[in-house]
Amino acid sequence: MFRLQSSKVLAVDMTGDAVKAKNGSMVAYDGEMAFKKLSGGGEGIRGMVTRRLTGEQMTLMEVKGRGTCWFADRASEINLVSIQGDKLYVESSNLLATDGGLRTGTEFTGLRGASQGNGLFTTTVEGHGQAAIMSDGPAVVLRVSAQYPLTVDPGAYVAHQGNLRQSFQSGVTFRTLLGEGGGEAFQMRFEGDGLVYVQPSERNTIAGDV
Amino acid sequence: MSTYGTPGAGPAVFDPATLPPDDNVNPYTFCVELKGSQWFLQKGKMIAYYGSIDFNGVGHGRLDRLVRTSFHSPLHASDWVVAEGSGKMLLADRAFDVNSYDLEDGNLTIRSGNLLAFQPTLALKQSIVPGFLTLIGTGKFVAASNGPVVFMEPPIRVDPQALVGWADCPSPCHHYDHGYMTGVMGGLRALTGLGGASGEEHQFEFVGAGTVLLQSSETLMAEQATGAVPHQAGVPGGGAHSPQAGQSGAPRLPGQLGDLQRRFGL
Repeated sequence: MFRLQSSKVLAVDMTGDAVKAKNGSMVAYDGEMAFKKLSGGGEGIRGMVTRRLTGEQMTLMEVKGRGTCWFADRASEINLVSIQGDKLYVESSNLLATDGGLRTGTEFTGLRGASQGNGLFTTTVEGHGQAAIMSDGPAVVLRVSAQYPLTVDPGAYVAHQGNLRQSFQSGVTFRTLLGEGGGEAFQMRFEGDGLVYVQPSERNTIAGDV
Repeated sequence: MSTYGTPGAGPAVFDPATLPPDDNVNPYTFCVELKGSQWFLQKGKMIAYYGSIDFNGVGHGRLDRLVRTSFHSPLHASDWVVAEGSGKMLLADRAFDVNSYDLEDGNLTIRSGNLLAFQPTLALKQSIVPGFLTLIGTGKFVAASNGPVVFMEPPIRVDPQALVGWADCPSPCHHYDHGYMTGVMGGLRALTGLGGASGEEHQFEFVGAGTVLLQSSETLMAEQATGAVPHQAGVPGGGAHSPQAGQSGAPRLPGQLGDLQRRFGL
């Protein structure tokens, strides 16, 4: 059972079940807990090789026991996400913890990933349960539906879930080359049905300066 | 509206119908509603939008008329864009607090890095005080600060790093605690930093009617280049000095650490 102790500390109440969490993110616990490093995020040899090859590396630990365990990472804001059979796409660096029963994997994202400065691959989480993701400043959750497509700055994108198609928009014109661009030359457009998490801060991206 | 106010509750999900028009979504994110209207915004502060919105550099030919009426900082042009279209747009800046302010036939001067966006009914001008911008007219603007903004009434002396801006005060000036810095002991203190230079010997002073805006930390926003002013006699910052030297309008006082303390941000 995930709950937020404060906006920056995640508390997980456990009764013998397990959660996967970012390595070293435990700040306190009471009760009986066992911490075990999961090589390759518990995705097996194939998952390990994929992560090594794609650069989407993530060290996870498995926490199992009875009691309450608290997690936090560099005072980042934490957002709870509930996953009901759909798929959450998140950068591995933004993933704090997931329920033990959720499967994690790696997926190709193409040009969109490159524009965020996070590589061409992203981490997926699927199954039924809860996950906790981190953002710089509290994330705003935006719903995308058929009549309301959404456009997001790649530097502010954190995660998305649901049945979404994403496309990459480039507004690069000759004006951009002259230094007279609109400042938002690269954008991600989401269409379909789902949720997008954006943070009130922009990472430095290749696209940030044009 | 806060997603973390009630621990354990699911986060609030926003769509175009529930996003507040021209208001804060949370303390760090501001939503602007565009209905065929235009907003000026600093480059790269848009984080997401619904609808169809175009972003054009201020140098875009079609915007000439708009720029002529509400943009009087020609050398800022490359830092500003005009958002135009219809939809809802979210603005944020490095997870700093953002707030909107309404001006009614008023004037407000603000540190150039703190201004995020403004309505074209306001005119943006470069302040005589280097590094600051002045907004004149009627309309709404959005500004960021590190920590919530505090409004103070003059007469007041404020720390230079905490100052965000001021409205209606005609008298921003430097103030030095002269007594503390003079004499043999004062000179020693200032030169060596020993014996308690408090770091608060220099303030900005405001008197008269108006409002002074302070942020609740001394972290500065990254300074936006405010452009250069014509090289003319009598124009602050426009003398024969380099722009850096022109930044300080204050005379060098005996007992000051040269430019050292300013370089270290003291």
